[in-house]
Amino acid sequence: MLDTLTNLGLGFKTALSLGNLTFCALGVTLGTFVGVLPGIGALATISMCLPLTFYLDPIPAMIMLAGIFYGAQYGSSTASILLNLPGSAPAAITCLDGYPMAQQGRAGIALFLTTIASFVGGTFSILLMVGFAPALADVAISFSSAEYFSIMVLALVAASTLSNGSVLKGITMVAVGLMLGLVGTDISSGSQRFTFGLIDLSEGISLVALAMGLFGVAEILSNLMRNEHPTVDAKSITFRSMIPSREDWRRFWPASGRGSVIGAVIGILPGTGPTIATFISYAAEKKIARDPSIFGKGAIEGIAAPESANNSSVQAAFIPTLTLGIPGDAIMAVMLGGMLIHGITPGPQLINNDPVLFWGVVASFWIGNIFLLILNIPLIGLWVRLLTVPYHLLYPAMLFFIVIGVYSVHNSSFDVLMTLGFGLVGFAMMKFDFPAAPLLLGFVLGPLIEEHFRRALILARGDITVFVDRPVSLGFLLATLIVLLAAIGPVRKIFRRLLKRRSVTTNINE
Amino acid sequence: MKLNLTRRVFTATATALAMSAALPAVAQTEYPVKPVRIIVPFGPGGLADITMRLAAEKLTEIFGQQFVVENHPGAGGVAAANQLLSSDPDGHTLVVMSNGTTIAVSLFEDLGYDPQTQFAPISTLAWFDLGIFVSPDSEYQTLQELVDYGLANPGYINIGTVNPGSTQNLAAEYFRAATNIDATIIPYKTSPDILAAMIRGELDMAIESPTAFAAALENEQVRALAITGAKRNPSLPDVPTVMEAGIEGYEVSGWNALWTLDGVPDDVIAALHAAIAEIAVMPDIQARFAELNTRAESLTPEEMAARFESDRLIWAQVIEDAGIEKR
Repeated sequence: MLDTLTNLGLGFKTALSLGNLTFCALGVTLGTFVGVLPGIGALATISMCLPLTFYLDPIPAMIMLAGIFYGAQYGSSTASILLNLPGSAPAAITCLDGYPMAQQGRAGIALFLTTIASFVGGTFSILLMVGFAPALADVAISFSSAEYFSIMVLALVAASTLSNGSVLKGITMVAVGLMLGLVGTDISSGSQRFTFGLIDLSEGISLVALAMGLFGVAEILSNLMRNEHPTVDAKSITFRSMIPSREDWRRFWPASGRGSVIGAVIGILPGTGPTIATFISYAAEKKIARDPSIFGKGAIEGIAAPESANNSSVQAAFIPTLTLGIPGDAIMAVMLGGMLIHGITPGPQLINNDPVLFWGVVASFWIGNIFLLILNIPLIGLWVRLLTVPYHLLYPAMLFFIVIGVYSVHNSSFDVLMTLGFGLVGFAMMKFDFPAAPLLLGFVLGPLIEEHFRRALILARGDITVFVDRPVSLGFLLATLIVLLAAIGPVRKIFRRLLKRRSVTTNINE
Repeated sequence: MKLNLTRRVFTATATALAMSAALPAVAQTEYPVKPVRIIVPFGPGGLADITMRLAAEKLTEIFGQQFVVENHPGAGGVAAANQLLSSDPDGHTLVVMSNGTTIAVSLFEDLGYDPQTQFAPISTLAWFDLGIFVSPDSEYQTLQELVDYGLANPGYINIGTVNPGSTQNLAAEYFRAATNIDATIIPYKTSPDILAAMIRGELDMAIESPTAFAAALENEQVRALAITGAKRNPSLPDVPTVMEAGIEGYEVSGWNALWTLDGVPDDVIAALHAAIAEIAVMPDIQARFAELNTRAESLTPEEMAARFESDRLIWAQVIEDAGIEKR
């Protein structure tokens, strides 16, 4: 304990040096900026900045790159709330309740609370990192394909009621998402599936292209079709109107806490990513809410949980990267590459061999999160003013950024065309009330479920009992069963009586 | 167009002068006249990307023009190749193609490009071998012990590699054929996935590049049993080659090389080759490459073309023997 404090002191001493503070501020500001712009994300920005950091010392380099990463998560909810255009794929879910809040004139509150939620989530995972990084990494790494399969199945089942309206339509969209996830090179055999001979599809459909098409381009199209646009009077948005009420806060904290935990669990598992974290935390809120019908209409829980999960998961993703040298996703892999270029070897020895770097970077995370609070809260008014920009200027600009952002991921013009195609599909889906969120979730989870299912079976030489023989996997499968049973009306009532838990949500319609 | 004309006139004059031995063999074509793009067919942060960025920095110094690395990842290097194919043959667009391309030409039904006819080789840059790795607490102390166990227990050994069709994966197919062991090849998406699987103990061995596992080796998360190259790896001097370990004729070496479009003036190619050859022997480059468990060596364009062909033949055979379906 004392050691930890000494180390933290060392870390803060490092992170608070003028040079490191500057690079931290630079990173998070850049991150917020690219986060706000739809489509342009952290991966492209970090990839572009990586060569610049060759000229820096390793510590400021890492501090800046990391700052871009988590800074982008803060920014990505802004456009979700104000324009119904997600800044990145994980923030797509924030549109569901964030945009209705803006339409109700509560944009300021939504922006304020998502910033706090991000801070809570980020801080939660940073504390985990400070206290238990090596132990948590060991647990995460002990998850084999059987466990991954079971936890992803639980996630998929739990999230089947992600959207409002027709359950049948929701499940249909999950299935469509699963099918889209099949496109590309089969991981087990290398054969090409549903690529229609197009080499551009051999890596599968780009998540960014899909998310930006279904949520971004579709929203722009549907706005173009509308004759009347809601106008916002900037003068009506005073600072007072941005302060959440006592009731808002009461609903905010538990949701933000649950989101932080879910985000940390998902984030620490290599190969998952923040999109899964945000979608699952949203679904979880809806599942446990006394009145799920408030979701999609501006529920505080619907923005608090996913935003906390988002930041919690990206901070937690540093745990396996720094302590085991095992990056969980493409962004972490680029960061790891960056460290190797600087001659740093992340792994179990990093904390001992290079404590200044490890603790300095960890301390900088928290300093960066404070910067982000400062950066985002006083600037809320500025973001809200975005709403007052005339639509005929705003939407072409947004489309422009989406195209640049999608292109920047793989430098692929095919992805741009695909985004526009998904935009048309998304527009049609909107018109016929088919929800896009379940589709995106199916798309993200499907390939993971398949990969791990098949690998678990290959490892077990085809013995399907592997999923119930392993206790952790069995636990997740039983939890899945409970969620399924709870969905059946009469069983649900029994559960409720048994649990008798106090719901944290209040039915605003009551 | 104007540039083209100038260049042609320039080349003609210069060639004439060179033939009369009036000029030393410096670049006669005015090159580079603008920033040069180096297209890397992989994402940033990988071996090809890191080594090429280190070299690009040196090329920038040598030529006094920016050499900019662009990542165009995608299966078979097709996206990267298309960037080159749609450029002008003036040497301002270069592409990195590796031993992976020698596999891709046999693996894909129609790759859409043919490096052997459409591209012009400049130089190889980074060379690397693959390692056969086990967990540090594995009971196998030598490769022979592992092979013997595998022969005695058919269907027992799990070999982890990245995606089907990768050099690592085909090296595992090749290994299975060369040793006659009945082993299961488990595909993973990335090398970190394999490392995690190794730490969990679900793999008996993995074939991966010591570069990808450089950190893991340093952290003692894996132990190398053998190296697939023809010679031992200078970073791992105590680790025998697979051939030394008793498996005859088994050699797999990987390389990254710089190519440009066929039709680029010979003197431009010569100037680029000379620059890479110079870079490859720079002490700081050699030191950085060694840190990455890779080796800098420049082959001449002719040697490079020959190496491509010999590798292509080996992989075509492995693919056929393993019965891998064409894509």
